[in-house]
Amino acid sequence: MIGRLAIAACALSLTALSACGLVTSTNRSVFFVFDVSGTYVKSVPDATKIANMTVAKLLPGDWVGASQISACSFSEKEIILQRQLPTTPSLASQAQRELFEELKAYAEQVKPAKYTDIRGALAQASAELKNRPEPERFIVLFSDMVGDYSKACDTSQFELDLKGIHVIAANVIKSDPGDPKKYFDLLAEWEATVVAAGGKWSLVSSPDQLPSLVAGLQ
Amino acid sequence: MGKGDGRGVLGAAEGIAVEQTLDQATGSPSSAAATDGGSFLGIPYGWPLALAVVALIIVMWIGREPMHRIVRQTFFFLGYMFMRWGTAFLEHGRNARAVTNEKIASFRADELQDRMLHLEEKMGKRTEQLARETGPILKKLDKATHELATSANAISDINLEDAAERAFRAALPSMESARGLTKVEKTIAQNTARTMNERLAPLRPALITIRNESPRLKEVAEKLVKIEHEFNKNASDVNKAFTEFEEIVRSEDRRKIASRASIVVPWLIAVLITAIALSGVALNFFLIERPMAEIVGEGARIGGVGLPTFAAIIVIFLEFVTGVILMDAAGFTRLIPAFHSMSAAGRRVMLVVSFCFLSLFSVMEMTLSIVREQIIEQQRETDRLAAQIIGPDLIARTAPAPEGAASAAEAPASTAPQRANVFGLELSTFAQLILAGVIPWLLAAAALPLETIIRNSVFILSIFASFALIFLAFVCKTISAVFKNVGVFLLAVYDFIIFLPLYIQRKVQARGAGADEPPTQRQKEPRQKGRKAPASDEDDAFVLSDPAPEKAPNRDKQRQPEQKLEKAS
Repeated sequence: MIGRLAIAACALSLTALSACGLVTSTNRSVFFVFDVSGTYVKSVPDATKIANMTVAKLLPGDWVGASQISACSFSEKEIILQRQLPTTPSLASQAQRELFEELKAYAEQVKPAKYTDIRGALAQASAELKNRPEPERFIVLFSDMVGDYSKACDTSQFELDLKGIHVIAANVIKSDPGDPKKYFDLLAEWEATVVAAGGKWSLVSSPDQLPSLVAGLQ
Repeated sequence: MGKGDGRGVLGAAEGIAVEQTLDQATGSPSSAAATDGGSFLGIPYGWPLALAVVALIIVMWIGREPMHRIVRQTFFFLGYMFMRWGTAFLEHGRNARAVTNEKIASFRADELQDRMLHLEEKMGKRTEQLARETGPILKKLDKATHELATSANAISDINLEDAAERAFRAALPSMESARGLTKVEKTIAQNTARTMNERLAPLRPALITIRNESPRLKEVAEKLVKIEHEFNKNASDVNKAFTEFEEIVRSEDRRKIASRASIVVPWLIAVLITAIALSGVALNFFLIERPMAEIVGEGARIGGVGLPTFAAIIVIFLEFVTGVILMDAAGFTRLIPAFHSMSAAGRRVMLVVSFCFLSLFSVMEMTLSIVREQIIEQQRETDRLAAQIIGPDLIARTAPAPEGAASAAEAPASTAPQRANVFGLELSTFAQLILAGVIPWLLAAAALPLETIIRNSVFILSIFASFALIFLAFVCKTISAVFKNVGVFLLAVYDFIIFLPLYIQRKVQARGAGADEPPTQRQKEPRQKGRKAPASDEDDAFVLSDPAPEKAPNRDKQRQPEQKLEKAS
């Protein structure tokens, strides 16, 4: 009862202070995008584990979303989860553990897709994040970054809007070990695309870099 | 000769004509001359420059009066303005120092008054106690004295000579019947001893009384001496305090009085204590910051400070304020003026209320310290779970492994080492609990030196401000002196440049005046000049008249227009 009253009093105070512009949010929203195309689907369990590492480092009040890159990614059907961590640390810890289970369950039952609509997935994630009030927004892409668009969902020419969003490519597997140039060209191309769309681009090469980059940890 | 002369003249004329032709050919005679002999500001050296200098001197002589006025107005007025500011600053500085001295003296008087009241109260209590203590002592003393007097009377009543004589006489009949000398002696001794014994019998209790009462009397006397000593000491303290108080109240030398009161040393001690208390505050802050997130939530920032941090700071402030109220209500400090006018009952209520609040804060902090441990434990558990899910293979791939992740992933939760505990709590948690319970009270104690810090800081700042004003006055007066002297120097240089026309002017004026005046008066004039400057000297630049004499009797009235000017400036 006292706790609730305290929270109510704090909420009232915060509302009053927000009106003065003194109160700012430190929360972040993170949207994980898993590539389930034929070339990457085997890496999804590893990707979910890296996502878990990131979730473990998120702070109370942060928002987490996840979707998958399939043939037609720009769809609500592809969204796996959306959840905001409670603002109190104990409840947030509990919610984090539930998220671990959800991601683990997803990794266990993931099914491969025929095509790789990366742009559609990015548009979907961007649209979701645009609706979030958190000042820091991240899209974490677990993909080989090789797009393969079906005729039904050809979003290859779709202009992305990634203003205020930090796009992080993580666990990007090298699909053609014999042609490193192609790999680097592909990453450069995606970087140019993201920057042109108003976003910020980062490439994470080792799993421990991702939590540091998202949660701002050293 | 004439021919020669004619040739010579002709030659010279020809030469001039040739020179002029040459000058015309160049088209600029002056520039040519300048190239040949040099120039000053475009004026060739030689007669043109001399002519220009003479013209300048004449122009300067003509414009002497207005130029003097300009210099006077500029430099003297500025100098005067700075002088006025300097005087004003000095006055304000001295006033500020006097006010500070007065405040320090009155504070010292208040302190002494409090001390006197305290001593008086102490003496009053001691007097009451003394009446209780000295009553039995005096009774004892009276009784002992009475008994001693009775014993002394009894002793004085006994006539030993008479007793011996009577004994001897009583022994005589038996001596007569006795035959042997030995028997006579024996009888005399027996009779004497018996008689003396009978006579001394009443003396024995008196002697016993004297023996018993003497140490008691000594003890009582010692007690009385001690009481007297204490009383004298208190009286001496009161007298000393009163003397100082009287001196403070009556003395005219406020600076001396103020300098007696120590300000910096108590201030430094108070600052030291407060700094130590503030380190306790920091400790307290780190203890409650994290668990405060459980109460107020996380994720928002107020003015750049995280919400739990902000809440923790507020809680610490509240604890401190409660501590201040507690100390003020208890009468240890005088920080809140409202408490001075409050009744004793009201203060007692405030004391109880603040004590209860501080106790609640203490309990709250203890609870938060447990919550803190729970949060850490939950976070540790979450990390362990994350590590289990990730698995050792992925952990091995990460460069710096998450905190205890690898070991946690491999070891099941049940194998965690059992730690020592007190009442079911880990030792560290128990220590935190004690710390959390104690810190609010220590924080309250920090209010004690706060009064000294605030009061003495005001005194120190006031003294510094007064010194700053005096220093400013010194700077202004120095600038004033610089302006005035620069003005004087410029006027002297100006008159030095035009000394020749000035000298001629004076001679002419003197001659004109001499022609008008009778010779006797002319003779007297130099003597008068020695005493008092003539009216015409007001315009003389060498006689510098200060625009505002320092010691004019009607100074304020004379300076009124200038004050207006100063205000306008």
